[in-house]
Amino acid sequence: MPTETLGGLPATGPLLARAALTARGRSGEEVPERTLRVEDVRIDRHRLAAYQRLTGHDVSDTVPQPYPWVLAFPVQTALMVRPDFPLALPGMVHLENRVTTHRPMDAAEPLTLEARAGELRPHRRGRTLAVRLEARVGDELVWECDSVYLARGAGHEDAPRGETPPDLPEGPPAGVWRLPAGLGREYARVSGDVNPIHLHPLTARALGFRRHIAHGMWTYARTLAALGRGSLGPSSSRVWFTAPVYLPSTVELVLGRHEDGRLAGLRERTDPARTHLVLTLESRA
Amino acid sequence: MTTTRRAAVLGGNRIPFARQFGPYAEASNQDMLTAALEGLVARHGLAGERLGEVAAGAVIKHSRDFNLTREAVLGSSLSPQTPAYDVQQACGTGLEAAVLVANKIALGQVDSGIAGGVDSASDAPVVVPERLRRKLLRLSRARTAGQRARAAAALRPTDLGVQVPAATEPRTGMSMGEHMALTAARWGIERQAQDELALASHHNLAAAYERGFFDDLVTPYLGLTRDQNLRPDTTLEKLASLRTAFGTGPEATLTAGNSTPLSDGASTVLLGTPEWAQAHGLTPLAWFVDAETAAVDYVGGEEGLLLAPAYAVPRLLARQGLTLADFDLYEIHEAFASTVLTTLAAWEDEEFCHERLGLDAPLGAIDRDRLNVTGSSLAAGHPFAATGGRIVATLAKLLHEKGSGARGLVSICAAGGQGVVAILEAA
Repeated sequence: MPTETLGGLPATGPLLARAALTARGRSGEEVPERTLRVEDVRIDRHRLAAYQRLTGHDVSDTVPQPYPWVLAFPVQTALMVRPDFPLALPGMVHLENRVTTHRPMDAAEPLTLEARAGELRPHRRGRTLAVRLEARVGDELVWECDSVYLARGAGHEDAPRGETPPDLPEGPPAGVWRLPAGLGREYARVSGDVNPIHLHPLTARALGFRRHIAHGMWTYARTLAALGRGSLGPSSSRVWFTAPVYLPSTVELVLGRHEDGRLAGLRERTDPARTHLVLTLESRA
Repeated sequence: MTTTRRAAVLGGNRIPFARQFGPYAEASNQDMLTAALEGLVARHGLAGERLGEVAAGAVIKHSRDFNLTREAVLGSSLSPQTPAYDVQQACGTGLEAAVLVANKIALGQVDSGIAGGVDSASDAPVVVPERLRRKLLRLSRARTAGQRARAAAALRPTDLGVQVPAATEPRTGMSMGEHMALTAARWGIERQAQDELALASHHNLAAAYERGFFDDLVTPYLGLTRDQNLRPDTTLEKLASLRTAFGTGPEATLTAGNSTPLSDGASTVLLGTPEWAQAHGLTPLAWFVDAETAAVDYVGGEEGLLLAPAYAVPRLLARQGLTLADFDLYEIHEAFASTVLTTLAAWEDEEFCHERLGLDAPLGAIDRDRLNVTGSSLAAGHPFAATGGRIVATLAKLLHEKGSGARGLVSICAAGGQGVVAILEAA
């Protein structure tokens, strides 16, 4: 697979603008084989501290498990705005994410980030795209991530269903979080993900949403933080984004166990049957 | 009567101290205390362990941090079943926390515990002016539309403003530096002697880092691996060139070089019984022998604000049947170089010892080669509540290096005219 090394992290704003302008007319069944790589990515401690504070982590040297995803977001976006990329980025929905951290990551370590797109698969609401991200310190693979996105479109009713998330425990919540209307704007500031569906009711409505919604990667990071230090060392987490969290709203955190690890979920305060996120975490001490 | 047990200092951990608005500018007290605690837990293999208690505190504290220490415990790898409480006794906080934990161990109430402290001069709580605060409270009490309108109408643009807490004594309106400048002038403490003490602090701290002394006492944090304030290359000439910061006229001697800077940082100390230590594969470094707290009447100008340790030490010595010369090491917190020098001068002064301390003879002089041998607050910085833990862990390790029976004295002055002192003995 050809690997292209970029000169540095591209700016996300212009990439997202280009993604919007080139959304129409993208088609095809094949994802081009291509890996984009950026070397010597330095973590800005001010941005990291803001991220840690917003996602409920301590301000520390240890990089939260979802943070390399945030760092790699412009690389992934650059991959998807290439002219030969078959799917339109705007409106794409994050369905699932699996991350493995091989060892604690220190904010002082420069990272090499790689992004490549995997297969397109039929889904009952369109097609899904797999994206693989990797982070290395020197040659050492310290972090890997597989994301699944849904490009909404003509569905395939008989498409094979993915692995369904484990059921969340019922009963009283372990926490109640009141998510303010400005959460998406705040997270956009620290993450650089300025996708309009997260910013304001009007910008979200333009893209077919009832209101603006919380970033899935925020709900994921915040839920991981609620599980303590288990995701800071060698560990794997898997998350299913089952329904968007409209802003503002109040969600409940529920906790349980899953196989040898932890299980966590977010559900709607006023409608506990509505699950927003299911997460499993396995820590290898 | 309950038989008391011996409490041992088993280790310590702190994060390097940073200057105000330095690399820790965005870290909260909770972040820093958690980092120091987690480093201690990692170094001593305490993950998942339920300890007897964790006692720590901060001098400058947000009201939202009502359970600061408990929150730090919950953010650490300690068992969430470890209880915790906050302590606050100005700059005596860290040492007082160690006294509390050691006393519970001695009384058999707990077998292990952690004492600590943290302060941020950067992430300080911002307070609105008192007049605005009262108006806002009145507004939130208002029930009817009329009351609300009246309360809101009372707000004036001129009420707006923010206040950042300062190291000012509420009863005198003077800063700690101004108080110290008065005391130093009264005792005739020379500028050069202060600068020499500051120089020794920097050189001793630098040498201790060079020989790896802090390798098992400090965990890097936010990119800092050594205390940011440390100036290994400073000279007497450089210190002498600084303008005076406190005091007025030709008598002014306090500079930014011989006063501690505002700092951010956190420290922790692990204490336990020898049996608990053995069961956890840990070695007692020093026994926490005894402690004394004193306070002086500084409000009427009777005594210097920071001279309470001068009173606490002789009481502690009398109780232990010791003299001031009976120590291998002295750790006297360098709030200002002049604080240390005034305290030493007071103990050598016949009139002070006779009239103020009620002693027949002066307490005497100490061997200056035994004082703050790995530097102190002038070089390391002084995040108020974190200083006690820094000193206790440092002294315990120094005494352990010297060998069984070596004795050390800790002396820390605090705002409000208070002082906490303690004796440690090598285990």
